[in-house]
Amino acid sequence: MHVLKKPDLSDPKLRAKLAKGMGHNYYGEPAWPNDLLYIFPVVILGTIACVVGLAVLDPAMLGDKADPFATPLEILPEWYLYPVFQILRVVPNKLLGIALQTMIPLGLMLIPFIESFNKFQNPFRRPVAMAAFLFGTVFAIYLGIGAAMPIDKSLSLGLF
Amino acid sequence: MRRLFTLLLSSALAVSALLFAPQASWAYPFWAQQNYDSPREATGKLVCANCHLAKKATQVEVPQSVFPDSVFKAVVKIPYDTLIQQVAGDGSAAGLNVGAVVMLPDGFKLAPADRLSDELKEETAGVYVTQWSEDQPNILLVGPISGDQHQEIVFPILSPDPASDSSIHFGKYQLHVGGNRGRGQVYPTGEKSNNGVFNASVAGTVASITPGENGATVVAITTADGSSVSDTIPAGPTLKVAIGDAVAAGVALTNDPNVGGFGQIDAEVVLQNPVRIYGMLAFFAAVAVAQIMLVLKKRQIEKVQAFEGV
Repeated sequence: MHVLKKPDLSDPKLRAKLAKGMGHNYYGEPAWPNDLLYIFPVVILGTIACVVGLAVLDPAMLGDKADPFATPLEILPEWYLYPVFQILRVVPNKLLGIALQTMIPLGLMLIPFIESFNKFQNPFRRPVAMAAFLFGTVFAIYLGIGAAMPIDKSLSLGLF
Repeated sequence: MRRLFTLLLSSALAVSALLFAPQASWAYPFWAQQNYDSPREATGKLVCANCHLAKKATQVEVPQSVFPDSVFKAVVKIPYDTLIQQVAGDGSAAGLNVGAVVMLPDGFKLAPADRLSDELKEETAGVYVTQWSEDQPNILLVGPISGDQHQEIVFPILSPDPASDSSIHFGKYQLHVGGNRGRGQVYPTGEKSNNGVFNASVAGTVASITPGENGATVVAITTADGSSVSDTIPAGPTLKVAIGDAVAAGVALTNDPNVGGFGQIDAEVVLQNPVRIYGMLAFFAAVAVAQIMLVLKKRQIEKVQAFEGV
């Protein structure tokens, strides 16, 4: 048993919206109160229960005391910095390393302008932007895995 | 009479074995104990790696969480191919020994024998665990023991109780584990053992290779200015150079006889409060009831909506 509101097609405002591909919130299951008042709290409580369970069963650990004079044997930044860390690690020249770091935001800024003449929003109809995005993602994952490996295996990932 | 004779003979054998053929028994971790206050350096390196230079994998298995004042086991695995033999101190081939060090969090210590279950007693039989020093009962050492039977070393561990010791707190703690198989390459004094590569001390030509004392080999190298330097290589490594070969300084004169290696790994264990588990389960039950109530309330409202035609 679900409450489903039918679209009122006699309403000219709604018809105009539907013609533009909008107005989908005028029909279907009402958001208030069905979703917002009753199902949102179910999800919120579930999330809180997951967090509480993790906090109890797998609490965060205190690491070693900080010592500025003792560099750990294996240094690694936070996981989301692995790819850029790997660039700095494998590039032989510091200037080149900094130049490549600058290229990352510059390359990201470029993406909206590539294929800007393309009128489609559908990613499958934007092959150049899609290819650049997928290549960037796969390459970042490759660099990230390499960052966690010994330096002699970091480019081949020890596979060959 | 015959039994007495057997007893005499066996005891004579035992005494002579102890006197004349001392194995490289428990000397080596003991050396580390003498030289270092703690087996872990500030960088996180275990000091065993200072003498056991090769790197080989070591694994450890510990429970995810333990309750206070309970006995659990940490299993250190030191895998290697038991068919391989290493060079002993006199250059002969011998089986590998293994040893392990476990650095437990503060308050954790070796479980006393009367707390062990029968199963645990069986698993730990024949393995003598010592502690690093008098005031550090949380750092445990084993070995060297024969690697053939002990590629898995079980440490029975007793967790501390925050109720009886106020310096202990519930939470997650890290263990540092090191496992080694085979002899080291360096003695604590800095001298090389015969279980490593020997290099040419100078550049020049190999003038002569003569046998030295105790199976050692003396390689005489004539340098460019005509002086002669001799490098003594103890029994063990195999010579790679011949008379007349030109060698550069630092070039290996021998192969690397070492087949063993040391590995270290970190593990985590949670010292868990049973009360927290009960609290968590109660909270989960309350959450589940609240979720069911919300869904039922939604169903009730839907009936009203269906009646009123939304």
